[in-house]
Amino acid sequence: MLNDHIFKAAIAALFMLILSACAQPKPLYIYDDYSESYYHNKKTVTEENRLKLEASMEKAIENSPKSLSGRVAPGMYANLGYMYLQEGDAKKALSNFEKEKQIYPEATLFMDRIISKVVIAEGDQK
Amino acid sequence: MSFLKRVAIPSFLFLTILTTGCAPTLVSKGSEFPKIYEEQPRSILVLPPMNESTAAEAKDYYMTTVEIPFALTGYYVFPVEMVSDIMKQEGVYDTELLYQTPLAKFYEYFGADAILYTHIKKWDVSYMVLASNLTVSIESEIVSTKTSEVLWKYTGTVVVDLSGGNSGGGLAGLIAKAIVTAINTAAADYVKYARVANTRLISTLPVGPYHAMYLKDQSVQIVDQTPTK
Repeated sequence: MLNDHIFKAAIAALFMLILSACAQPKPLYIYDDYSESYYHNKKTVTEENRLKLEASMEKAIENSPKSLSGRVAPGMYANLGYMYLQEGDAKKALSNFEKEKQIYPEATLFMDRIISKVVIAEGDQK
Repeated sequence: MSFLKRVAIPSFLFLTILTTGCAPTLVSKGSEFPKIYEEQPRSILVLPPMNESTAAEAKDYYMTTVEIPFALTGYYVFPVEMVSDIMKQEGVYDTELLYQTPLAKFYEYFGADAILYTHIKKWDVSYMVLASNLTVSIESEIVSTKTSEVLWKYTGTVVVDLSGGNSGGGLAGLIAKAIVTAINTAAADYVKYARVANTRLISTLPVGPYHAMYLKDQSVQIVDQTPTK
């Protein structure tokens, strides 16, 4: 019984050692529960799962200053903006697409393409 | 005796594995993937994987776990969900068709420097009496949209132990196993494991422009991923 405890404690201590030895002190970006909620929403598309995914992304953006880079992760603003767009909030979507290309110039061509499409679609509705 | 048997010996073995796990000495990133250092792509467009495994879910698992490790490796990764949705809207449902699309098209439409192609060969959960494993076999390639050159490729298998039992699977598998065992979860939370597997697969990739080690990791030693050599 006691041996078992010692064994478990030793394993736990070793595990901590690995983490400190191999892992970075701070991640380059912060994702929070994005990966899990993304998967859950992919597997079972429900309004609840969708809102959870959206909330996890908003939280990741909120926490981004705590990351090593201090930036929002690549694609985060764009993916979230696209969700806003699907909900019919074009204004919020466009502002997210703008932020994506401000932080990551690599996205400029793609974001500009989407932005112009959204603007045209919005114009048609009026 | 009991202490030696139960703690000292496993600890020693564990440490040995870890030490080798942190610094494998087989080939350097620079000699394996010289073209990626020459071309210096900044952005990667992740295409949906070709699922050749029997698990229908493998595609979704893969898609939801691939974005993060590539971004953490320092590349701009195009928003995976948004891109796959837009491709569907453009009428491209078929992955096979997507894989035949000329590379220049992706540059033209997205401005992507490179494309990630993935073939999932195996994504099996095997349940046995004493252990259950998740075996992930993947072939990945990063191809330049400008030169059509293969900049990086990975072929390999990761075995993730779902039960804390005994399993093989190389260094990646052992590390994954260590993590899984330590967390000591009985329930199979596959996303977590898929992510562990993916992170290991991507560890051979030279880091991108948003990583502190950009263009400084040529001498980093990796496990040889190209057994055909």
